[in-house]
Amino acid sequence: MISRFITEVRMKFNPFNARTRSARLFLSNLPPTARADGMMIQTQLLPKASTEASSLYIKFKDGKEMNLDVESMGIKSIVEEVDRHSRQLQKAADLE
Amino acid sequence: MPLRLRCPATRGLGCSSQRQHMAALPLLRTTYSPISQIIPSRSYAAVASSSSPVSNLRLPANYVPPTKPPTARSPDVRKSQLLRSYTSLLRSTPLMLIFQHSNLTAVEWAAIRRELRFALASVDPGPNPPPVDFASQIQLQVIRTRIFDVALKIVEFHDPKSVEPTTAVTASGKQVKVTYNHDLSESAYEAVQKVSKGTVPVPSESQYPELAPLLVGPVALLTIPAVSPAHLAAALKVLSPSPPAFPAPTRKKQPSYYDPIAQAGLQKLLLIGGRIEGKVFDLEGVKWVGGIEAGLDGLRAQLVYMLQSAGLGLTSALEGAGKSLWLTMESRRADMEEASKPAAAAAEGEEKKE
Repeated sequence: MISRFITEVRMKFNPFNARTRSARLFLSNLPPTARADGMMIQTQLLPKASTEASSLYIKFKDGKEMNLDVESMGIKSIVEEVDRHSRQLQKAADLE
Repeated sequence: MPLRLRCPATRGLGCSSQRQHMAALPLLRTTYSPISQIIPSRSYAAVASSSSPVSNLRLPANYVPPTKPPTARSPDVRKSQLLRSYTSLLRSTPLMLIFQHSNLTAVEWAAIRRELRFALASVDPGPNPPPVDFASQIQLQVIRTRIFDVALKIVEFHDPKSVEPTTAVTASGKQVKVTYNHDLSESAYEAVQKVSKGTVPVPSESQYPELAPLLVGPVALLTIPAVSPAHLAAALKVLSPSPPAFPAPTRKKQPSYYDPIAQAGLQKLLLIGGRIEGKVFDLEGVKWVGGIEAGLDGLRAQLVYMLQSAGLGLTSALEGAGKSLWLTMESRRADMEEASKPAAAAAEGEEKKE
């Protein structure tokens, strides 16, 4: 996953819900130096009995915001979705 | 390297030795019984020992069949060994916290473990300290999630006592009853398979359905060998501080906690749940257990107080009904007495007039 262009990740999920698996895997896909490189990562855990929908908000360097539905998407499609925009940014950065 | 004999393991020693001795001693052909062909090579050597010079050809105790060479992996990382250590961990550890660790580096792990050790060493055990000081046994370990999941299934679904004994033949040909019910046995595997394939329903008391969603991705465990809220609180303060109840250690008391490496590691460590006394708790539940004052003894004292006060209330309530009845009856009697007095006085007056 290209994470260079992500500036902000905000995540809310209930770990006791099996469908939030992709949210947790996304968190583990971020590189170890993500926070040191200026990415803001916020995670909020919902209580066990909560039925609130989980959410993933991603903000890119160019200001684009993404709200992904983690419960219906697998980790592969989330990565694909994020990379689709990251690749455009990378192309622009390479041309400069 | 253990000794190996050069012969195919499936036919084994029996065939080759048979050929040699047939050539050397043609008489043996008549005494050779077809039953011993069925018996595997090892027992053939044992059986033949009584009647022929084949007795010299006993397999050494450390014989390794060439089709099953010894593993080259270190026992610590062998999957079967890991599985056994996880099942024993699950059976013996009453309190474990489950963390998600997202790409922590080795130095960050070292820093976190150092801070945790420091915090746990300075825990006040309270008025009734445990007989053994287990602070040094509290471990934060990264687990192999899938193997841990299988171990949890074995612990939850496999009942070793329900396994029937089977008959096995010893090297000397004796039939004995043996029970293979250990965690790596076929019966354990079948018990787990039955539940995961749905032919047997998940036991109602099982915590597996609740715990399984947590066991995804990179998971680390903090295992505490006794339910000690004081130690749990100390660990929570370090690993997952939440200011009002579990504040992070102060800069003055634990300056190395604010080391950038330790802080970077702690940011990536996420407490997602806990398993305490076989029950599954979420973040709030774990904090509740950590917040129990004076440990289990404190809880027991609270319970005793509650039961005593409930008893007091009950007796006073029961007494109260009788008391109030007695009071009303008394007051009624007093009323009636007062009412009958003037009537009696009037009656006396009438008698005097007559």
